[in-house]
Amino acid sequence: MALTITCPICGKRNGYEFKFGGEEKGPRPDEKDLTPTAWCEYVHMNKCVAGVQEEWWFHKDGCGSWFKIHRDTTTNLEMEVPKVKHPAAKIGGGKSDEQA
Amino acid sequence: MNRLNHLPTLKVDTTDKIAFIYKGKKYYGAKGDTVASALFANGVRIFGRSLKYHRPRGLYSLDGECSNTCMEVDGIPNVRCENTLLKQGMVIKEQNVKGSAENDMMGFLDKMDWAMPAGFYYNVMHKPAMIWPLAMKQIRKAAGLGKISPDYEMPGKFDEVFLNTDVCVIGGGPAGMMAALCAAEKGLRVILMESRPWLGGFFEYRSGVYKDRQTLHDRALHLANEVKAQDNIRLFTHTSAVGTYNNNLITGFQIGKKEDVFDERYIEIRANSVVVAAGCIERPLIFDNNERPGVMQIGCALRMAKTYGQLPGKRCVFSIGHDLGLEAAIELHDLGLSIACIADIREDGQDTVLLKKIADKKIPLLKGWVATKAHGRKIVKKVSISSIDGQISKTFSCDLIVASAGMTPVTGHITVALGTLKYDNHTGFFLPDQMPEKMYAAGRIFGLNDPISIEASGMLAGLKAAHDCERGSTGSLGEIREAEKVMTGLPGPVRGTKLVTAPVKGRKSFICFDEDATIKNIKQAIEKGFDVPELIKRFTATGLGPGQGGIPGHNLPLYVARYQGLPDVSIRPTNVRPPLVPTLISTYAGVNHKMFKTTPMDEMQKKDGGVFRNIGVWQRARYFSDDFSCKKEIENVRNNVGMLDGSTLGKFRLHGPDAVKALERVFVSDMSKLKQGRIKYSAMCNDDGCVIDDGVVVKQGENDYYFTTSTGRAGQTVEWIRYHTRYDGWNFAMVNLTDSLGVINLSGPNARKVLEKIVDIDLSNEAFGFSEYKEFMIADTIPIRAMRLGFVGELSYELHVPASFMKSVWIMLKEAGKEFKIQNFGVEAQNVLRMEKCHIILGQESEQRTNLLDVGLGFLWDRNKAEAKTVGSVALRQAEGDKTRFKLVGFKTENNSRAPRDGALIVDDKVRGYVCTARDSFSLNEAVGMALVEAELSQIGTRLEIYEDECGDDRIYGKVVAMPFYDPEGKRMKM
Repeated sequence: MALTITCPICGKRNGYEFKFGGEEKGPRPDEKDLTPTAWCEYVHMNKCVAGVQEEWWFHKDGCGSWFKIHRDTTTNLEMEVPKVKHPAAKIGGGKSDEQA
Repeated sequence: MNRLNHLPTLKVDTTDKIAFIYKGKKYYGAKGDTVASALFANGVRIFGRSLKYHRPRGLYSLDGECSNTCMEVDGIPNVRCENTLLKQGMVIKEQNVKGSAENDMMGFLDKMDWAMPAGFYYNVMHKPAMIWPLAMKQIRKAAGLGKISPDYEMPGKFDEVFLNTDVCVIGGGPAGMMAALCAAEKGLRVILMESRPWLGGFFEYRSGVYKDRQTLHDRALHLANEVKAQDNIRLFTHTSAVGTYNNNLITGFQIGKKEDVFDERYIEIRANSVVVAAGCIERPLIFDNNERPGVMQIGCALRMAKTYGQLPGKRCVFSIGHDLGLEAAIELHDLGLSIACIADIREDGQDTVLLKKIADKKIPLLKGWVATKAHGRKIVKKVSISSIDGQISKTFSCDLIVASAGMTPVTGHITVALGTLKYDNHTGFFLPDQMPEKMYAAGRIFGLNDPISIEASGMLAGLKAAHDCERGSTGSLGEIREAEKVMTGLPGPVRGTKLVTAPVKGRKSFICFDEDATIKNIKQAIEKGFDVPELIKRFTATGLGPGQGGIPGHNLPLYVARYQGLPDVSIRPTNVRPPLVPTLISTYAGVNHKMFKTTPMDEMQKKDGGVFRNIGVWQRARYFSDDFSCKKEIENVRNNVGMLDGSTLGKFRLHGPDAVKALERVFVSDMSKLKQGRIKYSAMCNDDGCVIDDGVVVKQGENDYYFTTSTGRAGQTVEWIRYHTRYDGWNFAMVNLTDSLGVINLSGPNARKVLEKIVDIDLSNEAFGFSEYKEFMIADTIPIRAMRLGFVGELSYELHVPASFMKSVWIMLKEAGKEFKIQNFGVEAQNVLRMEKCHIILGQESEQRTNLLDVGLGFLWDRNKAEAKTVGSVALRQAEGDKTRFKLVGFKTENNSRAPRDGALIVDDKVRGYVCTARDSFSLNEAVGMALVEAELSQIGTRLEIYEDECGDDRIYGKVVAMPFYDPEGKRMKM
């Protein structure tokens, strides 16, 4: 696997050691007044961006922690966390820096 | 054959003879020979027959770029003989022949080419579908290379190694060695990979002048010695790089030497930067019968002489398009080869020094001429050559034709790593256009031919690669500029020939040897509308053979562009993919084929006659006799007492201030009500409400819990709980105790009497009742966690014991239980026992779509804890009242018939469900089971029609009955 991932605890390691945990979608929604559609959106729908996306990884053969990285899905390379949001740069999932 | 023993370039030791068997007879080769060179030395010219037409094939490239010399060696089919070193006692056979390679009874197929146009299978074998099985059988008999049986097990030792480095250099020729040396001098760690067994590449086998009085061969030796002297260069010879990926991951495989512990090993290298100095291969010249044994490329002819000491023929005609051809002609002439004529495709532009030498030696040279046809039914006897325009022609008798249109750079490593290429009109090459990040090309890939230029480009690439490593010295930018300046002063890329085919019609002019594709086939494909090389490649299979496109790789796009009259800029190479060199699957598989975990009781259970099976990642005792119905084991648990090793169970401690919250998130039950000393059975669902795990939870202390999971889920449990709490920032910790604790399940009416003998606490039903948890010591030494559970439906104690004490407790129980007839029982007996109680096993009574309610565990779910956001609760709420879902039911068979097999279908006019587990129950004296069926079939009393695989019209009938079947009140496990 060409991918390397930087674990916040163990550092940059071979991609073999990690397990993918899906796109960043934010915390679980409150169950009160939750419509089936909204729930389904949260659980099953993905943005599948061709570009940089924020996503979860689990260090299964290491410290056993969950963390987020940015990865370019077209090159399968881990990216630096984008600092300034440019309109052209598509960031998938989660809250952008401006919204946060 | 007498070999040329005096050459300094020789890699064989003719005094050291190696015996081998070929077609049942004993022959001798020399130490250092490849299988191919040893066979050639013994007069073998036809190595095998081609895939489709059964044409004779022989030596061609000497680097394994085509399947011509694939043979069966020691029972292994499709061994590339040109790359495989000869070993003592090897047994070698030819492939794809009926009779022998010399006299192949299928040889007539060569005349049937009119019946097999491009896309023959697609067009002809289309309809009727009825003939397919018959046609397939006949085609498989006639076509295809080596034979292998499906249960063949690959002999040999395979290994794998994973390396990290600063700079990885692919190619151990002059450019690669210079790059490696440059980077190594900066103090960086360097890996150098070379596919031949020795360093030297393009210099190694040549005697031309490098500089002053030094020959190219001497220069290669000098560089190789410098490389070997550098401690920080790790050298891998006989190692092909087969994959290059972004992020500079390089994969390859190494052929083991005699002293190595492996025959072949997989190498995976993570490099900071990469230099690709893979050099060139020759571009095949396409003319009639251009693959007849006796036609070979320049490098093949020259290296046969210089490396293996064998003159490749007696009388030869050269048809070449590169100065290397002129150089080879001179060298081979000096070694005693008679050269009838050199036909050079080029009208001008030859090296003047070489031209003068050829004139001095009186070798006839025709400029602007090319070979058009090789004559000879099996091996070359004559050759026709003509002027490029085909106007004038001549014929020479000869036994060797050295033919090559020019050079082709080996760019696979660049394009596989997503670099791009661009057609260059000057060199006629696809040159690197955009290189992948931190990857640099060097040497002949650019079309360089001058030795000094080749080395300088290696040096430049080495400096750039070193500069990419943070540990490189800071002055390197200046050095790079300096090296670039030096390059501009040196001879640049040489002009390459553009000719693809001689002036021929192309019916027997082969563009791809592996797949027997001719120029005529390519034309047919284009006429059919396949106008792009990438499509033609697929339609005609050109380049899809074991040579990985080495022969047609460059010619195909060039020919297609020429034939269609397209401009140069539109020429695109076809894609190549890893592995760039054919690699054994066993090399990828590496070591450790049989991996499993064993429990602390493994050895003792084996002594007791346990029959072991792999169950998930574990190896477990499934039976304790050869009666796989386990009658005795089952009856002993029901009547006396049995002992089961349950160590594979997932075991976890979860503690901390937010421990309850974490448990509530993943378990469907309300964990806040759990009292110390009590056991709670609960389950976990996924976000779709489908049940994924069940187990028990115990409160050990304040904010301190101990829980078990099913064997199969143990590996994912920590990941699962942390995943579903990843946003919450809760304060809790988890410890996986699965391997540090073993579990003994002591079950049966006599269980209490046995345990009483080894522990001193009160075990009465009042003091330690059903569904209770206790911690105590055995012999003041062994800490025990004990649970009163009833999975098998009898009085049971589940003892969780530190793994290191498991053996002791096991022996103590066995001793204590002797008088109560204690016996082992295995996983299958447990399976029947729990099935009689209708206790489910997830994965057996459930599949991926089965939710908590379907299996009747809805009572575990506490729906009043919405704030806990329990995984699966939303989906369960939606699934409630859904009448279309399957339900788990118990059934008995009618008329005392046997139990259906697990997985049998419940049918009427369509499939309505399936049998999860069913067994002939000894306790009940009838066949019972559980099945998942459509809700409307789940009423008690419903008749079930059960269909087993291949049962024809025979059906087993069952009737839905109440669960559980055995001891419905549960008195026995609570006694």
